[in-house]
Amino acid sequence: MVKIAAFIKANKQFTFFSLLAAAVIAVAWLAPLLPIQDPYAAVMRDSLQAPSAEHWFGTDKLGRDVFSRVIFGARTSLSATLTLVFCIFLLGSVLGVLAGYFGKLVDTVIMRVADMMISFPGMILAIAIAGILGASITNAVIAITMVSWTKYARLSRSLVLKIRHKDYVAAATVTGSRTLYILRRYMLPNALPTLVITAATDIGGMMLELAGLSFLGFGALAPTPEWGLMLNEGRSCLENAPWMMIFPGLAIFLVVVIFNLLGDSLRDVLDPRTDN
Amino acid sequence: MKKLTKLLALGLLMLTALGALSGCGSETDQKAETPGAASDTLRFGCFSYSDVLDPGQMINSGWAVSRYGVGECLFRFDDEMNAIPWLADSYTVSDDHKTWTIHMRDGVKFSNGNAVTAQAVVDEFQRIYDMEEENSVKPSKFIDMVSMTADNEAGTVTIVTNTAYPDLTKVLSYPSFVILDVNAGTDFATQPVGTGPYAITSFDGKISCILVRNENYWNGEVPYANLQIAFINDSTTKALSLQNGDVDMVENITTTNDLAKLKEDDKYYVTSTPGMRCGFAYINQAGVLGNDELREAVLMALDNTTMTEITLGGLYTEGFSVLPSSLDYNYAQLTNPFAYDLDAAVQKLDAAGIVDTDGDGVREIDGQNIELNYITYDNRGLSHYAEAIQLQLGEIGIPVKVASSDADTEWNLMVAGQYDLCSSNWTTVGTGDPTEFLANWYSKSAANYCNYANAEFDTLYEQMLIELDENVRKDLITKMQQILIDDAAVLVHGYYNSNMCSIKANVTGAEIGTADYYWITNQMRPAGTNN
Repeated sequence: MVKIAAFIKANKQFTFFSLLAAAVIAVAWLAPLLPIQDPYAAVMRDSLQAPSAEHWFGTDKLGRDVFSRVIFGARTSLSATLTLVFCIFLLGSVLGVLAGYFGKLVDTVIMRVADMMISFPGMILAIAIAGILGASITNAVIAITMVSWTKYARLSRSLVLKIRHKDYVAAATVTGSRTLYILRRYMLPNALPTLVITAATDIGGMMLELAGLSFLGFGALAPTPEWGLMLNEGRSCLENAPWMMIFPGLAIFLVVVIFNLLGDSLRDVLDPRTDN
Repeated sequence: MKKLTKLLALGLLMLTALGALSGCGSETDQKAETPGAASDTLRFGCFSYSDVLDPGQMINSGWAVSRYGVGECLFRFDDEMNAIPWLADSYTVSDDHKTWTIHMRDGVKFSNGNAVTAQAVVDEFQRIYDMEEENSVKPSKFIDMVSMTADNEAGTVTIVTNTAYPDLTKVLSYPSFVILDVNAGTDFATQPVGTGPYAITSFDGKISCILVRNENYWNGEVPYANLQIAFINDSTTKALSLQNGDVDMVENITTTNDLAKLKEDDKYYVTSTPGMRCGFAYINQAGVLGNDELREAVLMALDNTTMTEITLGGLYTEGFSVLPSSLDYNYAQLTNPFAYDLDAAVQKLDAAGIVDTDGDGVREIDGQNIELNYITYDNRGLSHYAEAIQLQLGEIGIPVKVASSDADTEWNLMVAGQYDLCSSNWTTVGTGDPTEFLANWYSKSAANYCNYANAEFDTLYEQMLIELDENVRKDLITKMQQILIDDAAVLVHGYYNSNMCSIKANVTGAEIGTADYYWITNQMRPAGTNN
């Protein structure tokens, strides 16, 4: 308990943003239990109503409550974003560690593929992949995973290369340690903190990319409440129903800021150079 | 030190601001170069449907030539879709309706001064017939011609056809038969020479079309010396251009909010007319919607009035038959047994055993969960209809998957039969007659992509094909409409209202007709000038 209190005291910023992030996740998680309207329930006659006591964020074109759609949108956007970050983190790290550790052909193949992927503009390639696979939030996650894993691969590869030829690794090999054990015991722990920080700071960016794909019609499909898609739906009503864009936009903005700052403060916590 | 930092920061900020502003400079300069709202120039914003202007190459090309006020046909459609003389002034037809003798109007000239003779008409028709092998325009599908002869002395064109046509003048009103000068020596794709009020000086299908007054115009004064057409494909951008004063007039604002805003503002004149287009969802009867009860219940579960008035903001006029109520096809005599009645729809489903047995909220047919595949594209508010229908059917346990794509993909999916509902907004009487349109439900037609078959409908359709008497045809068409309604064969939304929006202070006479072929006319004139 004392330790926790001391940690909180020493890492106020991190604690604050962790709480905020936890609150966002809690809202997303508990959305169905909250006393809000059904995000799919449409009263077509109540189309495009301005924010009021009944509809805090107004209604959209089909008379659905924008507030509940923004809240439910957190579920779609957050779960897709976290899945996406987890996928690129896992795929990139594993491939990078393998490339760094084994070198030679494995390294060449993995890194040349990575080079190929980053030689295209990321978003354009993601649009192409999502276009070929068909529009859906799952396909959008796959598309962005395919173009974003390279960063983690290069990073983990370089971190592994730094220690690959250290004496203690050679010693481990000589004493008969299995490759898997070496990877797990020496390579991964060395790369992990940096990769975790990168993943945390990536959450905001990835959320924007997913929202971007949905905005362009390659992500979530109507009637799913998803922030990027909601922005697109509100686009044509920007002048006479600005609330259709303002609130989903604000939601994206807030969540991206929270996760970016959380990533920053996490770096402060994990960075060995920071003197606590 | 602190001061220095502040100064530096301020300097940087100013530099950034200057950098940002520098981007605007060139645009302002460009604007200054283009003529402003001078009353001798009409600036028109419209969708570009065609990158080429040769009517022999693409259907849309003929439409564009007619819409931009460049070319005219021998006849034209009035607002009831009757053909009235235009470049021709009269015609006679043989008893078997196979020989049509058309008399040309005297004194008509192309914009380059060449006379529009009977031979010039035959030459142009011959040109597009000769092109049909390698192009998508097939004039022989419109007119199955045996011969075509010109008599310059008498000023007549005689057209002999293989099959009898109830009214060939309607077909000749179709923009593919626009009369252009084959001897003009200009490129038909970019600078066709016609008889309309304006003549093209330059054309780029993606950017703009610049035109000047046709000094040889035969049908009254042409008010503007110049016409600038800016191609703006996005409806909202079109509306903003008008509000911004970049253009004086735009056609067909299809975003309901933008249209509502223009209608409310006294600065703009918005005119709309129920056109000849029907907005509907084609129903694939080879799929789950082949079930009669399900299909009928789907139609009954949809609040078409609210969708049309609120969701689509009046972009369509509500209706339940495939032919627009504004046309002369006895809409008032038709009855709709499947009008909106949610409770009855639910009862119908329950009675037919289309119920949710496993409690997942989805109704089942033969033990299988229903999911309708609704393909749509973003055109004239069709995707809004799709979404509204998705919500309403979802509420009675019929989930709908809406797949929005581009027009070509949607078309290909439809042809491949990979749909249950397919958003459509089709011209019903393109050649002044619904024969071609109704073929979409004629079971022996290649154009029937919905697998609908009704022997009585087929018989009536075949009778119509050979019937020449207009009144009898009308009766047949009325009966066919009622059969489609009774069979719940089509999910009709309504009839698309074409619109034209203009700045009152700049232009008057900016009207839109029922036929979709005429945008620019010499009736559009600077505000404050008399007709």
